[in-house]
Amino acid sequence: MKKSHLLIGLVVLLALGGVAAELATFMDERLAYSSPLAADAEHAAEPTPRELALEAQAAAQAEEDANRPYEEEEYRAFPKIGSRVAVWMVAQLHLLFAAFVLAVPMFALIIEFIGYKSGDKRYDDLAYEFTKLLSTSFSFTATLGALLTFLLVALYPKFMNYLMHVFSPTFLPYTLLFFFEAIFLYSYYYGWHAFSKRVHLLLGLALNLVGTAIMFIANAWLTFMTTPAGISSTGARISTWEAVTNYTWMPINIHRIIANVAFGGSIAAAYAAFQFLKAKTPEERAHYDWMGYIGNFVAIAALLPLPFAGYWLASEIYAFSQTMGLTMMGGAFSWLFIIQAILIGNLFLAANYYLWLGMGRIEGAERFRSYIKYLLIVITGCFLVWATPRSILATVGEVQAMGGSSHPALGFLGVMSAKNTAVNLLILTTYVSFLLYRRSGRIPTVAWAKLGNIVQFAIFAVAASTVLFFGIYGYFVEAAVRIKFSIPQVLSVLVAMVAVTVIDIFLLRGAKETETRWGQISNTSQYVLIFLAVTFTWLMGLMGYVRSGLRQHWHVYGVIRDTSPDAYTPTLGFATQVVSVTVLIFFGFIGVVFWLASLGGSHGSEDEAAVTSPSLAEGET
Amino acid sequence: MRVPVTLKVALLTVVATAFYTYVGQLVPQKEVHPPEVVEMSADLTTADLVGIGEEIANGKGLCFTCHTVGKSGALRFPDLDGIATRAETRIAGFDALTYLAQSLYDPESYIVEGFAGGMPPISKPPIGLTDDEIRAVIAYLQTLGGQATVTMDTLIPFSAAAPEGVPMAAESESGESEPPAETSEEGAA
Amino acid sequence: MNWMIVLPVLLVLAGLRFVKPSMLGWAAAWWIAVWIIMDFGFAVPVPKSVVKEFLGIVTLALAAYVSSDPQRWAEVRDPMVAFLTERRHLPLLGLVAVAIPAAVAASIYLEMTAPAQAPTFGRTVHPAPPATLTVHDVTHDMQTLDNPLRSLETSDPEAFAAHLEEGRRIYYENCFYCHGDLMQGAGMFAHALNPIPTNFQDSGTIAMLQESFLFWRVAKGGPGLPEEGGPWMSAMPAWEQFLSEEEMWEVILFLYEFTEQRPRALHAASGGEGH
Repeated sequence: MKKSHLLIGLVVLLALGGVAAELATFMDERLAYSSPLAADAEHAAEPTPRELALEAQAAAQAEEDANRPYEEEEYRAFPKIGSRVAVWMVAQLHLLFAAFVLAVPMFALIIEFIGYKSGDKRYDDLAYEFTKLLSTSFSFTATLGALLTFLLVALYPKFMNYLMHVFSPTFLPYTLLFFFEAIFLYSYYYGWHAFSKRVHLLLGLALNLVGTAIMFIANAWLTFMTTPAGISSTGARISTWEAVTNYTWMPINIHRIIANVAFGGSIAAAYAAFQFLKAKTPEERAHYDWMGYIGNFVAIAALLPLPFAGYWLASEIYAFSQTMGLTMMGGAFSWLFIIQAILIGNLFLAANYYLWLGMGRIEGAERFRSYIKYLLIVITGCFLVWATPRSILATVGEVQAMGGSSHPALGFLGVMSAKNTAVNLLILTTYVSFLLYRRSGRIPTVAWAKLGNIVQFAIFAVAASTVLFFGIYGYFVEAAVRIKFSIPQVLSVLVAMVAVTVIDIFLLRGAKETETRWGQISNTSQYVLIFLAVTFTWLMGLMGYVRSGLRQHWHVYGVIRDTSPDAYTPTLGFATQVVSVTVLIFFGFIGVVFWLASLGGSHGSEDEAAVTSPSLAEGET
Repeated sequence: MRVPVTLKVALLTVVATAFYTYVGQLVPQKEVHPPEVVEMSADLTTADLVGIGEEIANGKGLCFTCHTVGKSGALRFPDLDGIATRAETRIAGFDALTYLAQSLYDPESYIVEGFAGGMPPISKPPIGLTDDEIRAVIAYLQTLGGQATVTMDTLIPFSAAAPEGVPMAAESESGESEPPAETSEEGAA
Repeated sequence: MNWMIVLPVLLVLAGLRFVKPSMLGWAAAWWIAVWIIMDFGFAVPVPKSVVKEFLGIVTLALAAYVSSDPQRWAEVRDPMVAFLTERRHLPLLGLVAVAIPAAVAASIYLEMTAPAQAPTFGRTVHPAPPATLTVHDVTHDMQTLDNPLRSLETSDPEAFAAHLEEGRRIYYENCFYCHGDLMQGAGMFAHALNPIPTNFQDSGTIAMLQESFLFWRVAKGGPGLPEEGGPWMSAMPAWEQFLSEEEMWEVILFLYEFTEQRPRALHAASGGEGH
């Protein structure tokens, strides 16, 4: 279709609209009721009884209005969807963009630093390309933040007033930091080629510090609502500093930093995947394949420690209030964690799958093909254990047969011991998958290669058996002891990953490298990257819901009651619907961000270097 | 026919999101409403109190988020089966009523051996039951292994109506230093 | 575990190694194996919701496996493409094209016409006994109540045997109609009852109870059950209306003797555990 046709269509449409409006006005005038009395000039001065009554009514209303006392409103309603859903969705959108804006500078800076250290220009270009996604996202974040603030003030005036009471000293620094964030972000982006590398890296560092500080302040507000501190039993402020440093503040800070990086990496990978799929030349495919790989690597590397941060957060919630902890894990929200298990299982499965598909682009990866089967079996097994509910949905007959809501055999898989074990093994297996991928392109040449392999294998075996041992032993001890078992489990996995990585770095020093054919990967793998990004986003939405929903009918848990019509906790089905709509809106926005980023022209000629088999530098691992 | 990449990606996004929404519909759908204060008139019988108490224990009291009735094995929190019988001898100097009231108003003072504690005072937020609601819960607890005796006129120790210092204060001081009676029994529960 | 089903499935899976089926065959075999084991392989059937969840995850995993390598993917894809496109498969393809919607329709039909079921209630099988028990106008303290005939077992074996014999008579005159010849709770009337008569052979019943608990249950029967024993009343009669106190103790002796169980010791524990 030609553009002119479109234009003509538009004009015709407008003209038709105008004609219709004219016609309607004309008809309306003709149909208007013409009172025989009103037409009569004699009676025109004499008002009818109805008119008198109306006049009196209007006067009464006016007087009442003039004398009406001012009343503080507690809540105002948002049309159609209600206040809570409106605030929920805008907050979630704001958060998703904020997470992206905070995360991208983190790994952009690291990648830029790698480029600076190694002198490999490709890394510098990659960091620049990641940063390109930032400026639009930053504007969206700020706009959504303003929208959220207005909504909160408009819909929850009384409660916002209370938050001001506790947190007023934090608002000014927050706004000031936002200024600095804008300055650093734009100077980091626009000054990429203007400043010397060192100054530019410093700018990036400042950007990250300011961004993190902003997040820490905002986290204080929301963690205070869940685990209040620094106030009297009726809510009067005692110390703003104590209110900031409440029970869950630091755990949320850490958890969010890590999760933001994982999420940012996955979104950046999705961008690369999208460009890969649209790419016309092999050079472009090679470049975006590589970019997607790095983005995904960042995402998965951040995902691995995330469960540990999550456990810390959960244990702080328990420490603050056992009631809340149990509402979360055993009460109203327990099924949410089954949904979470399915999402995280999908994440791990998809991440491993991507690595396995990626072996296709490496010459010599065939020798590891047969291992995939066993890795998959372990991952699936762990996934199954993690997704096994403790109290099972069953019909009457099934409950009778089981003699209760938990199955005599499967019930064992539904408890914490089994789930901790599953998640630790899942992390370990994903790490092995990555190691195999890393290995597939290289053949070690050092003399002690064989010994090194054996030691690495032994470390994995010890870590896996430690995890399994404590998992099984956990069934035979009291709860108080069992809870502590997660620490050796986590430690053994962490130690194993660090030790094996260190050995691997030395083992592969001077290794014989085979060719990595970037771009020679099936399109499926790129859709997997997009699937990962959607899953990450959805998971953030879900966990954001539980973090906030956990307060149930409290604005500030145990102190300020929520008395609005939205005080109830909705069904999980409804919550997932809201999360889904939010995620779709977010991807709509992200589509705009991607589109704007691609308007700046595809990556320049300087990226040609990407074609020539970029070897994985040490720093990546 | 070639489907544009943008469309495919959009489709994938929608399908993945729809899948997770579907998963969200498969789990139990329960709406939790904020608790409402139970109006209790002065002419309620003991049997009425038991009924109300059981409802509170199941609902806004959140008792059975942690506690069980009639379960054994590796428990995280004490089982309440037969609590009325055990309450009589749990703490030296506390009769059953005082012990039950103590466990609700100030649960952390005596922790059943083998358990970690962590029960919040039920009279305070976030659960925040009123004195009369706690009275009903005590009536219900008395039926677990015993007979409910609480009436609307019974003076519940530790409640706002009870005099400061609590009935058994003198004895409880000596009781605190003594090991609680029959802890082995509690440990098994 | 229902080994009669699990073992053959595992054997077939092992046997397939020699037949060397294609990748598609393997995937199908694994899927079916997991399904059979989950659905039929457990002594206590696994609820459908969990079977569905597990099969969903296994489907994902198998899909990831077969498509994670171009060669494997070709092995799976080619036979399917052939089936869909080649003329010689047309009749079978037509059958599949009809079968799938038919299966969906059938499952929806079955779901919609499923008979309405009563909601579930948690029923406490061994509710807590009262603190005191009044039988034939004598009030017993449940904490200390014990079988008065139990001491005869060591002090006067002959008298004990006589009491046992009496217990046997009482059991077969009164109890066996429901609790059965072998005390498995499978007497001739058992099938009409809900809740079903207790299976005394099960080590989870009388072996973990004190004799005083049995005495309470025998004397007061279904009508004497506290509320948590509901929602349906047990059909057990209140035997205090038919038997003397001694007769009830005798039949209790016989229950333990016949099932070769020992009663739970009086002071080992009371309260929560086991009730």
